[in-house]
Amino acid sequence: MLTEIESIAMHGHTRPGECILKASELVMDFGTKRVLDGIDMQLNRGEILAVVGGSGSGKSTLMRQLALLQAPTAGKIQLFGMDVTNMGELRTLPLRRQMGVMFQHGALFGDLTVLENVSLPLREHTDLTLGTIEEISMLKIVLAGLEPDAAALYPSQLSGGMRKRAAVARGIALDPEILFLDEPSSGLDPISANAMDELVLHLKKTLGLTILLVTHDMDSLWRVADRILLLAEAKVAAEGSLRELVASDNAHARGFFQGPRGRAAGASHDQ
Amino acid sequence: MNRVHAQQGMGNQAGFSIEGPLAYCVGNWVASNLHDVELQLSSAGWPKDRLQLNLGGISALDTAGAWLIHRTLNALQASGLQVTVLEADEKTRQLLDLVKARSESAAELPRPYLPGFLESVGRKTGGQLQQFYEFLAFTGHLAFIATQSLMRPWRIRWPLVVKELQYAGVNALPIVGLLAFLIGIVIAYQGGVVLRDYGANIYVADIVGLSMVRELAPLITAIIVAGRTGSAYTAQIGTMMVTEEVDALRSIGIAPLDMLVLPKLIALVIALPLLTVFADVMGLFGGMLMAAGMLDLNSSTFIERLTEALSLDSYLSGIGKAPVFAVIIAAVGCFQGFRVYGSAESVGRQTTVSVVQSIFLVIIVDSLFSIAFSKLGI
Repeated sequence: MLTEIESIAMHGHTRPGECILKASELVMDFGTKRVLDGIDMQLNRGEILAVVGGSGSGKSTLMRQLALLQAPTAGKIQLFGMDVTNMGELRTLPLRRQMGVMFQHGALFGDLTVLENVSLPLREHTDLTLGTIEEISMLKIVLAGLEPDAAALYPSQLSGGMRKRAAVARGIALDPEILFLDEPSSGLDPISANAMDELVLHLKKTLGLTILLVTHDMDSLWRVADRILLLAEAKVAAEGSLRELVASDNAHARGFFQGPRGRAAGASHDQ
Repeated sequence: MNRVHAQQGMGNQAGFSIEGPLAYCVGNWVASNLHDVELQLSSAGWPKDRLQLNLGGISALDTAGAWLIHRTLNALQASGLQVTVLEADEKTRQLLDLVKARSESAAELPRPYLPGFLESVGRKTGGQLQQFYEFLAFTGHLAFIATQSLMRPWRIRWPLVVKELQYAGVNALPIVGLLAFLIGIVIAYQGGVVLRDYGANIYVADIVGLSMVRELAPLITAIIVAGRTGSAYTAQIGTMMVTEEVDALRSIGIAPLDMLVLPKLIALVIALPLLTVFADVMGLFGGMLMAAGMLDLNSSTFIERLTEALSLDSYLSGIGKAPVFAVIIAAVGCFQGFRVYGSAESVGRQTTVSVVQSIFLVIIVDSLFSIAFSKLGI
């Protein structure tokens, strides 16, 4: 018999629209500073949830906790309906197959080529032959929008945009249920940033991924986000679709979405 | 019948079975349980002219599974077999289409270019010569700036020199002292074993004194400082290279050599001889304790013999090497720091290179000193 974790690790098991990741009363302290203060949120299958907020509002910390990279000071995290808050590194290992993470600067392994970086999760978690693993990795590299030639390059030879794409390719190597993206379009030129938005939408459509992305790129928000979680002062200040947030009279939401940048992005989207 | 059976037997596994012109894929075709079906697919007895592949039993499929199916279909069709896919549900078909659409560009596996033996020897040699040339240029530049600054000592950044002195000198006292003390004990013990047989106990002072003061104290101190301070220089400058702080200095109009290297060089040239003196004292002290314990040589006799055995020449020839070692360590440490390029990974690599090179050069120069001293009869 498979344990519950193993069976979840095999195939996520949730129906469309169902909540697959849920956080309640999440608190995070760094020393005396409270970075997250009672966050309640949920991620539903098949949606793209954007976590936004000013610098230092705790959005990256929230993502790290949801991706099980950092334990919260207090609160509860449920993944596929199972409490994973204090599960311990070893027991959560199988669950990580269902979660891919793209780190802000890629976090590609510097002494491996792009192909080796993407093959690593497959080599580690499957018994497929090396040839098949490399073929599947190439498929992911192409899916992430890189030229096949880029597979032989080392991370130091890649541009910022290519590095993020390679990181996405590694993130989706095992076809996870959830993909976490930390600032996918930051530091990219407008063309690459647009292409990154396209990639996110494409992945959601083709692979049926559920995506949580941390960003403060207004244009990305308009284009890709189904739902937005606005963090301010360590709490959830507002939640809803972008149109709802733009129309809301919540002070934080107005500051964020009705400033000149927010309006410009909205206007160009409406055209 | 067969299909139902396969499905039940497989549980959560991926299954594949073939029966004449009918083939069935069942179960979870996800990356982690594809090992068996991969082998089965490659060795299956396919029919001669037509095949019906039934995908209706697949309960979960990911891109890895879709890729296997796609690859097999492709190979079969290429060999002239007529294949029809049956009962593929919406999601399965979508994934197969997705894989098919990308398969062409995914099929070409590029390999990193690996140079041949001769080429790598050539490149390596060229690289080393280039590095040597750059090191000479760096040392020359540094010497030029150092002379210029010494003409106008008020322009030297003394607060930085003092800070570096604290770090490279004062903070290194405990480790240098302890190691020199232990080496003194070891030398006295090794010498004492032989001397005792000959009844020449008193000469242990000569052995400890000469070997510590002339050779071991300067060498041990230089090696510790190379590992401790030289590496820190490389890491500091290297990190500043990665974060573009060095370029920022340049853009403000401050020469990096003047700000980052010169204070370190001056501080180390002052600190290393002083550390060597300290190591001399601690080493002799260690030897004296061992002599007292093992050979019953009391400390006043030991010290008396020491004053006869050690000439001023011996003492100065030991101390005199220290500033030279200091220049080597500071120059190599800083030079390797400036060679850091690109990522944080390179900082680690250059730091290792820096320590190895400075210890290597220190020992080479030390042996040159020995040859020179023997010719000069010091």
